Parts: sequence; C-alpha cells; structure tokens
Amino acid sequence: MIIRAALCPSPPLLASGVTGLADVLPELREACEAAVGWLLAAAPDEVTVIGPAAATATWPPDSVPDLSMHAPALNRARPTPAAALPPPSPLPLSLAIGAQLLDAAGYSGPRVLQSVAESASPDACLDLGRDLAADAPLTALLVMGDGSARRSAAAPGYLDERAEPFDTVVEQALRDGDLPALAALDPDLARDLLAAGRPAWQALAGALSPGARPRTRILYSDAPFGVTYLVATLDPAS
Amino acid sequence: MIMDDVAGAASESRPRRTPGPLRLGGREFPPERALVMAIVNRTPDSFYRPGATWDEDVALERVHAIVAEGADLLDIGGVPAKPGPEVTVAEEIRRIVPFVERVRAAYPDLVISVDTWRHEPARAACEAGADLLNDTWSAWDPKVADVAAEFGAGLVCSHVGVALPRTRPHRAAFADVAADALDRVLLLAGRALAAGVEADRIVIDPAHDFGKNTWHSLEVTRRLEDLTATGWPVLMSASRKDFVGETLGVGVDDRLAGTLAVTAVGAWLGARMFRAHDVRQTRQALDMVASIKGDRPPARLTRGLA
Repeated sequence: MIIRAALCPSPPLLASGVTGLADVLPELREACEAAVGWLLAAAPDEVTVIGPAAATATWPPDSVPDLSMHAPALNRARPTPAAALPPPSPLPLSLAIGAQLLDAAGYSGPRVLQSVAESASPDACLDLGRDLAADAPLTALLVMGDGSARRSAAAPGYLDERAEPFDTVVEQALRDGDLPALAALDPDLARDLLAAGRPAWQALAGALSPGARPRTRILYSDAPFGVTYLVATLDPAS
Repeated sequence: MIMDDVAGAASESRPRRTPGPLRLGGREFPPERALVMAIVNRTPDSFYRPGATWDEDVALERVHAIVAEGADLLDIGGVPAKPGPEVTVAEEIRRIVPFVERVRAAYPDLVISVDTWRHEPARAACEAGADLLNDTWSAWDPKVADVAAEFGAGLVCSHVGVALPRTRPHRAAFADVAADALDRVLLLAGRALAAGVEADRIVIDPAHDFGKNTWHSLEVTRRLEDLTATGWPVLMSASRKDFVGETLGVGVDDRLAGTLAVTAVGAWLGARMFRAHDVRQTRQALDMVASIKGDRPPARLTRGLA
C-alpha cells in the first residue's frame, strides 16, 4: 500500500559535487529535500524509488549512487577494491539521484530501487505500478521524472513549441491529483519532447488506487535550463 | 665565492623531501595548490614595463590590484637581473625595505618574497617583514641562507650555471643542463638545511634564462619532472622572459600566450609556484590545469547536466 508519494526530477546537477564549487539551483534541491522529508515523515516500512532507465529492472537495494558516468573526476579518489570482481553496473541516473536524496535525508531503512523502461507502454507502466503497490507493506513512493528538455532555444533539445503545453498538462494533472490524465500521456509525444518522466509518472498512476484523487502540492515547477523540473507531493489518504 | 670547491661540493648531500605543505610566513599551502607569485619591481629599468611601479604609491596600488586578482604572494625586487647601472646595497635597501614595510602594514598576512642576491638587503627585508628570500643568482652570497635561517624565512634555491649576478649568458654550455640544475638546487637545498632553514620553507627553481640560452630553458622546462620528483616545491619563473620571446619570435609585450603555455606545462609537471607579471591570467591558467588534474573543483557546471 502506498501511503505517500513524492515526485522529483533527476538532473545530474542535483548530485553533490557535480556542479563544481557553485551551488546551482539550491531552491530546486531544497524543494526535493522538502518533498523527501515529507515522504519520510510518514514513517514508511519501506521506500520504493522508481525512475526511468534503459530497461525495467529491480536493482540491488544497497547500490551506491555513482555519478562517475557524468563526472568521472568525482570518483577518482575512491579506492579500487582489491578483489578482481567486475564492478557492479552503476545505478541508472534517475535511481542514483533518488538514492542520493534518500541518503541525504538520513534514510537507512529498507528501499526498493526500481527502474522502468523509457520505451515501456502506458499499460506496462500502469501494471508495474500496480505490482509494486500490491506487493508492498506501508510504502512511500519516490518517483523520479523530468519534464520536457525542449522548453527553450537554449534547452538541451532546442525549442519545441509542443513542450510547454505538454508540461502544463502534466503539472495540471499533478495539481488536480488527476491520475487518469497521467495515464493518458502520449508516449510518442513524450519521447519527441525528451520528457523522460513519462513512464515513471504512469507507474505512479498505476501504484495509487484506481479512482483515488490524491491531495497534492507542487513545491517547484520551472525550466531554468530549458528542462522542466517538477517537485510535488501526493497524499493518497484523502 | 664564485666557483664552489668542486671536491667539497661533490661530497655534500643532495637531499630529497617528502612532498608536503609549503610554509611561508604564517601560511601553509598544500601541494595541490599552485601559487601565483606576483612581481612588483621597485626599479626604473626592469625589462617588462620598466618603471611601472617605480613610484611607491603606484606600486602599492599595484599590490592592491594583484591581491584582488588572486596573487598568493608578492615578489618585490629592487635590482634588475640584466646588466645596467650599479645598484648599491644601500640603494637596494632604500628601494625595497620601506615598501616591504608599507605592504606589511596594509596586509599583515600576505606572504612577501624579496628578490635579492645579497645578504644585507635580505636581512633588512626580513626585519621589515619579508617571508621568503628569492635568491635568484644561485647563492652567489651564501650568507643569504644564513639570514633566512635567522629570521625563519623561506629560501629559493636556484640554478644559474657559471654566470655572475646581473650578467647575460655568453656561450652558455652544459653537458646536461637539466641534470646540472637538479644537482645545483639540491646542493643548495642541502646547504640551506645545514644553515638552519626549515625544510618546509625551501623552494627550488631552475631559473629560466639565468645563465642559460633558450635551448637550455626549453630543456629544463621539458624535464621539469626531474625537479618536481625530488619532493621540493618548484618555482617557475618564466614570465615574459627572453626564452619565450625567442621561441615565438615576439617582443616582450607579446609574450603572454607563450608564458601561459609554459605555466600550464609547468603546472602539469608539478611545479607549485609561478612568478608572474600577469596575475589574473596566470591564476586562470593554473586553475584550469588544477581542474584538469582533478585538484580543484570547477567553478560552476551546468552544461549537459540539466
């Protein structure tokens, strides 16, 4: 049973040290910390982090968040294990950021790290969410998902005029607790708009009870680098 | 005094040093922090912008500016390296000591080096608050080391070859200039230790252009690791010098790019102190190299990370 859910984006710049000496977007980090803090305040039996990745998979819960794919210098000081074992494959970015947020909040309880394929169909995402909720004890769900990366000419994916209406639909759905609107998001349009969060949002829609209308709060909504970041909390108990 | 007793020198030690912090004045600098030593000439006739800081008030303004630009220490000199009108001991003291006092009064913690090769000005400078003696002419006057020891100051041990102070190299020749530089600076480091200079206040310097032609200066740059591998902090003093000008075929006003290239190579090979006219640009070059090496977090990153 999902007792609370929170939504955070997963840009590499949220990870500690990745932006160098400067603290970039402290207000975004604070919003994420507030959302995770609220999630943990319900004292869940476990936390499930779900985020998009190349493939749907469950990752070892003790996986260490490793941003070396994005910032190789950061991990150079780490001692090499003496054993000749191959290094474990690093967590996908979305789960690494989620795990770092949990670590930063001091959470050491049970955690499930679940990726959902970027290409997963809406139905597959909804099913995955339902399965996660069905198996679970009192679970807090941390959903990692970014809006479109095509919000401006300076955006990573350059400007696409369809991006703002798309992000507005997502934000409005979150404001209204409108899970069917999330379930109805078009995966092809989301892919075109580089909106990485789509499968995770649809898994969220599946994880909450059908017909539920969670009470929500938007803690952050902006696209400072042309990528839309949404931070929200969802309380299904109401 | 001019030529060492060769047999005696051969039996002296060439000490290595465990890499560690460099102490100057009350400050301590870790090995991964490359320092900018900003030049302040109290001369009317230095080779670059002669007389630019001859006026004492202008010189102090220059100090304010270069501190703001990121200078870690100053190098105040009263005698040009090149030949020219004699500067007596008394005149050298008159040029540098009141100025050291003024800088010290304005900046109680700023590290002050004095570029001198005679012990009388060295002593007067230390009394006025100097922290480091940049003995560019390779211990021509061995009492400079004694002064450093007496005042707890640092000492730069440099290599010149056979040239005398304020002379130009004439048909300079070395069987192996890098090996000669290594041998000489280690010999002087050993003598400095014997004189009582603290080990963590000793710096070594191959002294580009001093007693060397341009081939020699390029060679000691290329083989700088021979020096950095000793563990002693290495000073690079290459700013706008003739070996840069000759290598690029440019005049003194057009040597910044070449100087920064030497700076970057030196930093990559492990030099820890860079004597510079162009403080802001040198600081930027060193910061860039430090971030490439992984010794310094970059300033502000968002590219590809949003």
